[in-house]
Amino acid sequence: MIRKKAMFLSLTLLFFIFPLTIMLLQSISAPWRFHTGQGIDWGWQGFSLLFQNPQLWEATFTSIWIGFAVLFINITIGLFTGKALASYTSYGKPWLEALLLSPILIPSLAIAMGLHLFMIRVGLADTIWGVMLIHLVPTVPYSIKIFHNSYQQMGKAMMEQPHILGAGFWTQVFTVELPLLRPAIRSLTFLTIVISLSQYAITAIIGGGRVLTLPLVFFPFLDNANTSIMAAFSIWFALIPVFMYIIIEALMMFLPYSRLPWRNHR
Amino acid sequence: MKLFKNKIFLLFLPAAIFMILPFYGFFHALTQSTGGEGLAHYEEILSSERFLSSVWFSIRTAGIATIISIILGLVFTKLFHPLLNNTFPRLMVWIPMLFPHFVWGYMVILIFSETGWMAQTLVAAGWLGDTSNFPVWTRDPEGIGIIVTYVWKEVPLVILLLFPVYASIRPEFYALVNSLGGNAWHRLTTVDLPHLLPVLVESFLIIFSFTLAAYEVPALIGTTFPEMISVLGYEWFYGSSWEDRPLAFAAMVMTSLFLLILTLIGYFGLSRRRWRAMRGDRA
Repeated sequence: MIRKKAMFLSLTLLFFIFPLTIMLLQSISAPWRFHTGQGIDWGWQGFSLLFQNPQLWEATFTSIWIGFAVLFINITIGLFTGKALASYTSYGKPWLEALLLSPILIPSLAIAMGLHLFMIRVGLADTIWGVMLIHLVPTVPYSIKIFHNSYQQMGKAMMEQPHILGAGFWTQVFTVELPLLRPAIRSLTFLTIVISLSQYAITAIIGGGRVLTLPLVFFPFLDNANTSIMAAFSIWFALIPVFMYIIIEALMMFLPYSRLPWRNHR
Repeated sequence: MKLFKNKIFLLFLPAAIFMILPFYGFFHALTQSTGGEGLAHYEEILSSERFLSSVWFSIRTAGIATIISIILGLVFTKLFHPLLNNTFPRLMVWIPMLFPHFVWGYMVILIFSETGWMAQTLVAAGWLGDTSNFPVWTRDPEGIGIIVTYVWKEVPLVILLLFPVYASIRPEFYALVNSLGGNAWHRLTTVDLPHLLPVLVESFLIIFSFTLAAYEVPALIGTTFPEMISVLGYEWFYGSSWEDRPLAFAAMVMTSLFLLILTLIGYFGLSRRRWRAMRGDRA
């Protein structure tokens, strides 16, 4: 067991911690030239040059706003559908699940290209609303899967008890289901926001370059920015999901039966 | 029908409304790919050398990346799943999932490019004469950079998908195989694989269809020739001439149809297995 632990630690250090460390170090030092015998030249230029870019802040706020909207729609659709799938046991369920998974199997590029004309026609092209809609396509299937699993783990009895006690649909959702779905909401937060932050092509097609999200700033940056700025930008990409996770965690404290840090409890 | 009698039908409503979006998009892409000229555009791209080499390159690169990710993820989960029950080790494994794909691709460039960290360090250590002697692993014609990025990013996803299944396999199964005189190979084929097969097939489909048709990573870390199908499609869609647009639709629709057929085969295989298992046969 100890040997296994050591092996696990060395593998994770090498493949998961080490690249993150490299990126962090590069973001707080001047571009490296080790082959010329130079050492590390520490400094905050990477971050300060990054933050001087006015586009960065605009894109950050747009991305966060889109991320939250996409997340809330995801939670809503995931909650309903996950519950429905968990209580639906008839024939053809595997096919229904396959159908609900299909939006991530069809290339999102094909979907975005196909929706482009429609979005122009209804006036959603080049708007933040259109981008939010298209970001639902690669995220909702994951939400449905995650919530479906959680509802299945909760079990039928958990759903029947509040019903027997006379709780209405929404009372049941807020007092029983949502508090129990907290772990699912946590993983969903990370997954949804990272996927939304990963979309360059479909954001460019539907947003028409008018809706400026972080990937749309990152790609053109690659050609003319030095490695310190790019490393700082990369770290910035990981800080946004963490920041949004903290907000979601704070919001979840208002769910019933949550431990509130400012209340006394044992 | 039972489905309409109770509230389940209403619960499916939001998902049904959402599903309009991808399906409308797909069918619109389908109609635009014909452009009122039948299959002319399909004939055009199927006779284009550029398209065919891009199809081969995409399937090969995505296939290699997917298979390596699944094997590595499977081995990792098999070896270490008891450790993953703790929060901290789990968080460490999922670090790559915190970054978008193209950011991880940039990290691969930062480490493995000809002027990257690795080349610099090897020169500084005296093991390499000059950084130009470092092999070309990023923006290379073999797609090595693309494969490395995808494998690195997808292994944590495979672990995430497989871990709950491994955690739910009861140890009695292994004990049974042992008491019947089975070895490690028997444990893998009679306990692990039957439990894991549905998840493995699903992971393969999710990762393969993503790596085959995602634009960002190949655009960042790939070359202009051969190029992935998504890069070619995006170029045709936004290209200088308006006439290439139906070609973009045709290329993406063909990729979609290919993936849909693959999905159908996968699910048919799975449901046949399930059916057999219910009847008590062993395949």
